[in-house]
Amino acid sequence: MFSPRYPLFPHLFQAPPLFQNCVYSPLRGWASLPPSPESTEVSEEPPLAGLDTPFKRPLIVLRAPQTLLSLVLCPAPLPDFSLLDYKIQPLPKGLEHPQGFPPFTAPSPDGAREMWWGGRGQSFNIAPQKAEPDMGLSGPKSVRRTGTLEPRSCQLGSHLASGCLPGEQILAWAPGVRKGLEPELSGTLICTNLRVSFQPCGWQRSQETPLSSEYDFVLVNIGRLEAVSGLSRVQLLRPGSPLKFIPEEILIHGRDFRLLRVAFEAGGLEPQAFQVTSAIVQARAQSSQAQQYAGISLSKAGQSSGSRKPPIPLLETSEDWETERKKQGARGWRVSTVNERFDVATSLPRYFWVPKRTLDSEVRRAFGHFHQGRGPRLSWHHPGGSDLLRCGGFYTASDPNKEHIRAVESMLQAGHSDVVLVDTVDELPSLTDVQLAHLKLRALCLPDSSAAEEKWLSALEGTRWLDYVRSCLRKASDISVLVTSRVRSVVLQERGDRDFNGLLSSLVQLLSAPEARTLLGFQSLVQREWVAAGHPFLTRLGVTGASEEAPVFLLFLDCVWQLLHQFPAEFEFSEFFLLALHDSARVPDTLTFLRDTPWERGKQSGQFNSYTQICTPGYSQPPAGNSVNLQLSVWDWDLRYSSEQILQFHNPGYDPEHCPDSWLLRQQPSFMVPGPPSSVWLFSRGVLTPLNQLCPWRDSPSLLAVSSRWLPRPAISSESLADQEWGLPSHWGACPLPPGLLLPGYLGPQIRLWRRCYLRGRPEVQKGLSAPTISGLQDELSHLQELLRRWTPRVSPEDHSKKRDPNTILSQSH
Amino acid sequence: MLGKGVVGGGGGTKAPKPSFVSYVRPEEIHTNEKEVTEKEVTLHLLPGEQLLCEASTVLKYVQEDSCQRGIYGKLVCTDFKIAFLGDDESALDNDETQFKNKVIGENDITLHCVDQIYGVFDEKKKPLFGQLKKYPEKLIIHCKDLRVFHFGLRYTKEEEVKRIVSGIIHHTQAPKLLKRLFLFSYASAAQNNTATDPKNHTVMFDTLKDWCWELERTKGNVKYKAVSVNEGYKASDRLPAYFVVPTPLPEEDVRCFQGRGIPIWCWSCHNGCALLKMSALPKEQDDGLLQIQKSFLDGIYKTVHRPPYEIVKTEDLSSNFLSLQDIQTAYSKFKQLFLIDNSTEFWDTDIKWFSLLESSSWLDIIRRCLKKAIEITECLEAQNMNVLLLEENASDLCCLLSSLVQVMMDPHCRTRVGFQSLVQKEWIMGGHCFLDRCNHLRQSDKEEVPVFLLFLDCVWQLAHQHPPAFDFTETYLTVLSDSLYIPIFSTFFFNSPHQKDTNMHQRQLSLPLTQSKSSPKRGFFREETDHLIKNLLGKRISKLINSSDELQDNFREFYESWHSKPTDYHGLLLPHIEGPEIKVWAQRYLRWIPEAQILGGGRVATMSKLLEMMEEVEHLQEKIDERHHSQGALPAEAPSLLRSSARLSSLFPFALLQRHSSKPVLPTSGWKALGDEEDLAKREDEFVDLGDV
Repeated sequence: MFSPRYPLFPHLFQAPPLFQNCVYSPLRGWASLPPSPESTEVSEEPPLAGLDTPFKRPLIVLRAPQTLLSLVLCPAPLPDFSLLDYKIQPLPKGLEHPQGFPPFTAPSPDGAREMWWGGRGQSFNIAPQKAEPDMGLSGPKSVRRTGTLEPRSCQLGSHLASGCLPGEQILAWAPGVRKGLEPELSGTLICTNLRVSFQPCGWQRSQETPLSSEYDFVLVNIGRLEAVSGLSRVQLLRPGSPLKFIPEEILIHGRDFRLLRVAFEAGGLEPQAFQVTSAIVQARAQSSQAQQYAGISLSKAGQSSGSRKPPIPLLETSEDWETERKKQGARGWRVSTVNERFDVATSLPRYFWVPKRTLDSEVRRAFGHFHQGRGPRLSWHHPGGSDLLRCGGFYTASDPNKEHIRAVESMLQAGHSDVVLVDTVDELPSLTDVQLAHLKLRALCLPDSSAAEEKWLSALEGTRWLDYVRSCLRKASDISVLVTSRVRSVVLQERGDRDFNGLLSSLVQLLSAPEARTLLGFQSLVQREWVAAGHPFLTRLGVTGASEEAPVFLLFLDCVWQLLHQFPAEFEFSEFFLLALHDSARVPDTLTFLRDTPWERGKQSGQFNSYTQICTPGYSQPPAGNSVNLQLSVWDWDLRYSSEQILQFHNPGYDPEHCPDSWLLRQQPSFMVPGPPSSVWLFSRGVLTPLNQLCPWRDSPSLLAVSSRWLPRPAISSESLADQEWGLPSHWGACPLPPGLLLPGYLGPQIRLWRRCYLRGRPEVQKGLSAPTISGLQDELSHLQELLRRWTPRVSPEDHSKKRDPNTILSQSH
Repeated sequence: MLGKGVVGGGGGTKAPKPSFVSYVRPEEIHTNEKEVTEKEVTLHLLPGEQLLCEASTVLKYVQEDSCQRGIYGKLVCTDFKIAFLGDDESALDNDETQFKNKVIGENDITLHCVDQIYGVFDEKKKPLFGQLKKYPEKLIIHCKDLRVFHFGLRYTKEEEVKRIVSGIIHHTQAPKLLKRLFLFSYASAAQNNTATDPKNHTVMFDTLKDWCWELERTKGNVKYKAVSVNEGYKASDRLPAYFVVPTPLPEEDVRCFQGRGIPIWCWSCHNGCALLKMSALPKEQDDGLLQIQKSFLDGIYKTVHRPPYEIVKTEDLSSNFLSLQDIQTAYSKFKQLFLIDNSTEFWDTDIKWFSLLESSSWLDIIRRCLKKAIEITECLEAQNMNVLLLEENASDLCCLLSSLVQVMMDPHCRTRVGFQSLVQKEWIMGGHCFLDRCNHLRQSDKEEVPVFLLFLDCVWQLAHQHPPAFDFTETYLTVLSDSLYIPIFSTFFFNSPHQKDTNMHQRQLSLPLTQSKSSPKRGFFREETDHLIKNLLGKRISKLINSSDELQDNFREFYESWHSKPTDYHGLLLPHIEGPEIKVWAQRYLRWIPEAQILGGGRVATMSKLLEMMEEVEHLQEKIDERHHSQGALPAEAPSLLRSSARLSSLFPFALLQRHSSKPVLPTSGWKALGDEEDLAKREDEFVDLGDV
């Protein structure tokens, strides 16, 4: 309820008998407003909460040169009670009056005024500021409605509009103060048809980074909206549910765990707060259907230089694949072009690696016997000789002949006598599990989460998210031992081959290959194992609203964070980089995470118009020259991150000692224990079981269908696979691990919550932990080196160019 | 968990005598045996240490029961420790011993450190105590620092088994007399070694000067005075010889109730507010005595409440706060999570790690302590009130909270010397009953409460959340917590300064030590709290303090406003107490669990990087200084940076298990720069020994 904070003077104003669409001015009395079409339009708005009258909008903001007058009017139904609230206050700094606004002649101030309006036992304060220059209403003409969209965006100062992307429209805005984060910033909350953005005062959107990672909230990212008034009144805003009161504060909870908390400026600006809040609700509701913002990307790409190279190879040409193959030293493999027209499988990339001796016709035939045509392909070639493959489940309904089976077998064997089929999904959560866990985690990590502090740990356990992280790490660690310990072919087999296969194969590479732990290496790893391999990002991240939402990729990022946390000196990238990648998953600026398959991605970017007739009219502008280069990817960090932020992607604690150059040379084959001459194994539930045959078709039914049934669950062995493979417990240390191989800890106490990601909404987590220490030291170091350089007369130019790169600073010897 | 196997098979029924005693000598199994016999492993004895019994060809298992691997060697029991002398002792090289504890080796267990002993009879685990009728084939020792040892006795001669098992049981479990502590034999034998280190600036608070110095430092000398009324412990044997009271307080008051009911100064805040503590008056039934007590307290009250003293807020710790029983229960549950007999068990509990952790409520107890400390800080800092801590003996939670408040408010207490002085002031001179709380004499398990460990854990939370604010690292705290069980330091082995002084200095008088006199029974139960004081002081004060709701608001506001500002590491420091912020002190609790080891990972990796960089910064600084001073002179060629090529384990410096693979190669100068962390592990005796042995 409104509790009057000022003395009541009900005698001051008597309600006019028929009070309808009128404005009261202390000087001029009541003036009637022209009937405006908008007012009837929005009169469906709900009553403002807290007023027990069936109060309806419109809200009106009048502008005077230095003041704002806001009126809350009630239309027809209540003749005796129409002017509900009235406030005059100075214009907030930074706000300009729209051009063409009729100038006011300011009458002399008539002292302090207190206006109170009461009715039906209610009273509402109308508390104009005392020292304000009095404002007059020059008549109906000066009354301008602000609910309309078009005039508003023109009215805004040019600094607001300049940050707009092509096709972006500002729907509403309100001045406010961003809270919760350090420091508190005053600025403007803007809602456009693409995003919600908080623009701090004086902050200028740079042309180079049109999207701000810090201040922007993409509409699809909004997970929960809350309007707050006073201490107790909170409304959860759902699409379609009307706003019940004028919000003092709005809380935008992102699905990426970010929180934007803006307190609106009080006094006269409530209608704007109301508007911007409703606009966000509406825009959010509409955005879930509209999913394509690709127009931004293309036009952005057009803006930047014409012949730009993608920051990392996007693996859309066969050259990229060939380069990568050579880099890995996979001599027994070649790039197959069999899927160039996406006729083997649309979810597969156009190019992939197959054994050298296999013909394309064989590939085509063999792939037909796998689920969705996703046959065995090379993921990674271990320098010691092993190969890591991934494929979909066997398509058991097919009835292959002997030749086909032979083709399948030879592709799985990949020239090795020792083959291990890994049942990818056993012991791993299902997609539904992952989604449920993520939802629970998000609920738990809300700042006002209901979990009591002393119950926090069991609530965290109840989400099972960390449990899933742990099982992924455990499995990946086992597989990396399999790959490292013997020369063999390790085949990851998952029915769809688009979710956990990618997760495991990337984790295995992170664990076994120092190259993958560099900044570039990691990005190309994600590009290869996730983007090109056809992980259905759009579906899994829930942009489409389909039921198969499951943030497997975010689970993967969490696993990587655990590794980063456990091995702080082994990774070139920092936690900040992981966070950036985490957040980018929901920013629809590039196609990287916006499509389910490479086919769709290529189709959208107009990459192969020559192959297909499908071309969206919206993107009919033919990209000149090298069309592939025009496509922006998520790896174009400068779209969203400033150069200072990108500098933070480097982990200052990275030890270049573990740099990949020397790694290949150091790789000793002595860790490779010779295996039995010809053997086929199934790796499931942590144990290797011998198999009679590779393919399920000859005698037995499907291998995968059977495996979980006839394999008994083994007693949990305290010996890890590493112990079994190398004969001695790895932790006992009798046997040093192969260089470059990381074996992560996956015990309960070692799996941590990624606090800086999930608890970002909580103010107490905003401050850094130990990381600042090392980066502070880093700064001091570069400062000292700079000083020293100034004293040294002979300065080599290289030194200057290197000075900001953390790695080179460390490797310089003096 | 604990005694899992016991429940199933124990039941008091006599298990059959092991039907098969293997006399197969290990040399028939173990190929390296010849080397074992050739290398006569020497037992290092401390001055005054005596060998009591030994057994040879004992198999020390790798902590893993599925693979019955281990090392053969000799198990010995001295009057100081149980030690296992493995055959690869000599394999240690210098690099590794650099990081070794000088007193306690990897396979040494001091007798005081033994927590529980189990025997395995026919695959069944039973706790061992008293006289044994039959002897186990395997001995499992749980230590108070959470190590677990498995000793296989199958190949040991039967009479040796009897001797060593009963010897160990007797010397670790039988109640002892104070004067039989190893401490005394060591002190008399090693007296020459205990020359005081001039560099040790730790204030011991055993002279009037020390107290005056502290008063001056905190500017408390305006309203408070150091008194020597208890010199020679004439007034009270619970109080230290010198302490500080409000200036107008008559000294004879101290003698009235043996120092009880006297507000004793702990620390003064910059705004003049002080933290005081008071032990409760004895509980009396007699009306007359009650009357006397009442008028006594009235007198005290009048003194303290008159200007210039600020309003006093009383915190009655015995009624509204944790009970010692809570702490004991929580810790005994908590430690079971880390005392792992075999890895399989560990994996089993692992799935439910978080809920197990939570159900122990140890972390919640830490949170409550931190919260209470913040509340007290808020009173002192924001409300300008004096805070009077009230406890029956003012020696358990009083010590914990007053020292915690000082760590949070006084940056001096976050330096190493300052922290040691704080421990000396609040815990040693404050009369915390280390002897009883650690159960060094094995006289009453009920009294064994890890209050000091709780304090260290609280400090660890602070240090973990704000590492730059502390002069010391978590390793310092870990080593400090270990030294509670190393009986060569007198610091943590007495119930009061009085007890220490009478025993350490006047031992020749050989006074009969009556335990009950020097350490009166402390109550575990709430009904024992002194209602009198509550009534007299509590009621009067309750009108001065706010209602509890307002208190909560004040607390919230204070807490949130502090955390919303950038942290000043040299000023007031508050911990985060939200659920996710209270963590397990992994270094202390997990360091002996091989499964928890991450090779090449953990914070050590960052740490060594940090050291490297610090070294380089230092070096550059020097270089710049040189140039600055003598522009023309060419600097000497800088030594190239040492690089740690080896991958350290995350359990460094405690786990030396990875000896075959990688050796810690760290630039030692860097370690020094970091605050002598390696010194902690190496020269433990120097810094932990707060008392003068």
